[in-house]
Amino acid sequence: MPEKRRKLIPDNFIPEIKSRVITLDNQDYLLQNDAMYTFYERSAGELSPFFLAIKNEKKILGCKCSKCGIVRVPPMMTHCPDCEFAPTKLVEVGQVGKMNTTPPITYFATSMFLDKAPFGRGRVILEGADTALSVMLYTTTGILVPGLIKKGTEVKVIFRDERVGQISDIYCIPTSELTPEQVTKKGLQESEINWAIPKEPQFPKPTDKDIANFRQYLKEMQSIAIKMSQSKRARRAIEGWKRDITVKTKAGEFAMRIDNGDFRVEDKKLASPDFVMACEDPKTLLDGLMYKGSITDSVITKRLWISKNLEFNTIFKLDRLARFLVMEQKEKTAK
Amino acid sequence: MAKRVGIVGAAITPFKGRWYQKTYYELAQMATREAVADAAISIKDVDSVFYGIYNDIFERACIPEHPLQGILGMQNKFGIRISNGGATGAYTVSAAHAYLAGERFKTALVIGVEKATDCFDFSSMSATPEVIKTIAWSGDTFFEQNIGWSASDSYAEVVLGYMDEYPGTLKPEITAQISSLLSQQARTNPYAQRQFDQVTPEEVMNSRYIVYPFKELEICVYSEGAAALILAEEETAKAIAKNSGKPIIWITGVGEANEHSFAGKNQKDMSHIVSDYLGAHRAYEMAGIKDPTKSVHIVELHDAFIHQLEISMAEFGLVPYQSVDSLIEDGLILPGGKYLVNPCGGLSYCGHAVGASNIMSAWSARNELIKRKLRTALVHGTGSTVSQYTACAILEHE
Repeated sequence: MPEKRRKLIPDNFIPEIKSRVITLDNQDYLLQNDAMYTFYERSAGELSPFFLAIKNEKKILGCKCSKCGIVRVPPMMTHCPDCEFAPTKLVEVGQVGKMNTTPPITYFATSMFLDKAPFGRGRVILEGADTALSVMLYTTTGILVPGLIKKGTEVKVIFRDERVGQISDIYCIPTSELTPEQVTKKGLQESEINWAIPKEPQFPKPTDKDIANFRQYLKEMQSIAIKMSQSKRARRAIEGWKRDITVKTKAGEFAMRIDNGDFRVEDKKLASPDFVMACEDPKTLLDGLMYKGSITDSVITKRLWISKNLEFNTIFKLDRLARFLVMEQKEKTAK
Repeated sequence: MAKRVGIVGAAITPFKGRWYQKTYYELAQMATREAVADAAISIKDVDSVFYGIYNDIFERACIPEHPLQGILGMQNKFGIRISNGGATGAYTVSAAHAYLAGERFKTALVIGVEKATDCFDFSSMSATPEVIKTIAWSGDTFFEQNIGWSASDSYAEVVLGYMDEYPGTLKPEITAQISSLLSQQARTNPYAQRQFDQVTPEEVMNSRYIVYPFKELEICVYSEGAAALILAEEETAKAIAKNSGKPIIWITGVGEANEHSFAGKNQKDMSHIVSDYLGAHRAYEMAGIKDPTKSVHIVELHDAFIHQLEISMAEFGLVPYQSVDSLIEDGLILPGGKYLVNPCGGLSYCGHAVGASNIMSAWSARNELIKRKLRTALVHGTGSTVSQYTACAILEHE
């Protein structure tokens, strides 16, 4: 599971005071690093009992209308707007529920959640509730893929070990991945769950044909990489980015190197790569670079393994590299 | 009896992924200059201004409209900003219409502008994660922002809810064909951000997942740009049109609705876009449209996501819920089909400069009604979490 952040704004998000000039049509334009920031010591007001119950008691509260009896989770109102603002009272609800609808899965997240993707976010109707609570969704089995959690899937609320009194203190996983005891236990914490540890895949011994294909595909990737490095538009996809990647396949290992606009595919082993990719068939990557299927989807469908989930970010950039090269070629043709 | 209100001038700037050369001051003035020129009037003849600007953080200022009052030549006149999420532009048209119909003013400038991609994420060294983070401040502050809410995942919730309710609809090959179609339509729009980015259905299907079930080429693109309309009440509109020689496009109906932002009993129905249904049908009622399938020829639809475009068409009553894919399968939106949808390329290919987008759509609908000598267009804006907000307008060419 992702680590909890210790600072409100992590250091790597904060740029230096700096500016640069870009020239377009012989005219200079000034670009300045800048930020809007406001800090808060924000009151949770009437929502305080809900967040304190999560933090201190590992309980989920709803609010029940004294007139119509509807139980709303989260308890975002003290009076029911459907009953001429009759008062509501706080009640505890269950920690198991069913998905209201099939949840989306975020692969490309906002800058604040890049290190948490991929994740699901959906709405669960907990036992005893009439409305749906928005929750993050994970699987203990690795990367969350479509079809794993659907409308009606039973899920269980999991409490983070370190809780700060925010909605991110909880998330859900399918009850099918838990023992019956864990499903019934109130206040189940993430440290009580067995999380699958990502393991680098091992490939069978290559045939002569595999080795011949590997040499051919490597050559083709090197040739595309040269075109990408020469393309003004494609270079923009990896501007300011630097990564050394080891790629392991059934028939051999090679390196992909991204360096501020330059992209190289090298027939060599890297001593200390930033991360490792592993795919049995290197054509998976070749197709991605040739814009014949996305590399992102290869990770999702488990044809390509990456050693660090955070490097999804680099995977997106490789997909962009392929798309930007094609876009530039199209624009040239059209114009 | 409310006054009739018509569009007598319109203009947009080019929509671009990044306007290094202009600030939002200049973009707003560019569109305004062109719109008053289109109406053949002076800015001095305009009584009021309605600003459509979505997100303060994009412009890096609270009340970002305040410098525009002078820059646009509107000092000492009425000015009001509308900010309604993605539906900002459509709501701005609606607000201006109400003031003119209520005889507060004779003329109005409707100006939408957005400068989105100055935002930049220094951790990934790219703009997009920061742009979508900026939008993500629009999610519920207590219950959703810090669990990864984004515009894409909140609309995906509704799309998946629809697919739960109507299994077998929104087939990937159909959304891919619609995206491809819009890319072709953008080819003739010189202001489009992706004018030369024609994609095949295969490319769409091969593009990467951003947020399941959305692929990269099934999502609108963030843009920078501005769009302006000049509206006038009936007598003034006729006088302006006589002088400019351009036909008046009447706004004969407007309709809006904002749903609940939480789901479940008595709250948001996640399998429908009820706001789209109510917004469109309220606009039809005001315009006297009994059967939209017989009256509406052009739809300028806020296609934040291609799947949502299909659902919105169903909510508008233009295609049955169970068979939204007939938009392609029966050729309803293909060239020569019953409906002309997003001839400008939509927000997917012309671009999504949020506050300006729906105003750009109205600009396009007006152009197409005049050029093709068609009678009725529906202009639509959607926004906020789980497609909560909608505003629609019916435009008619006499």
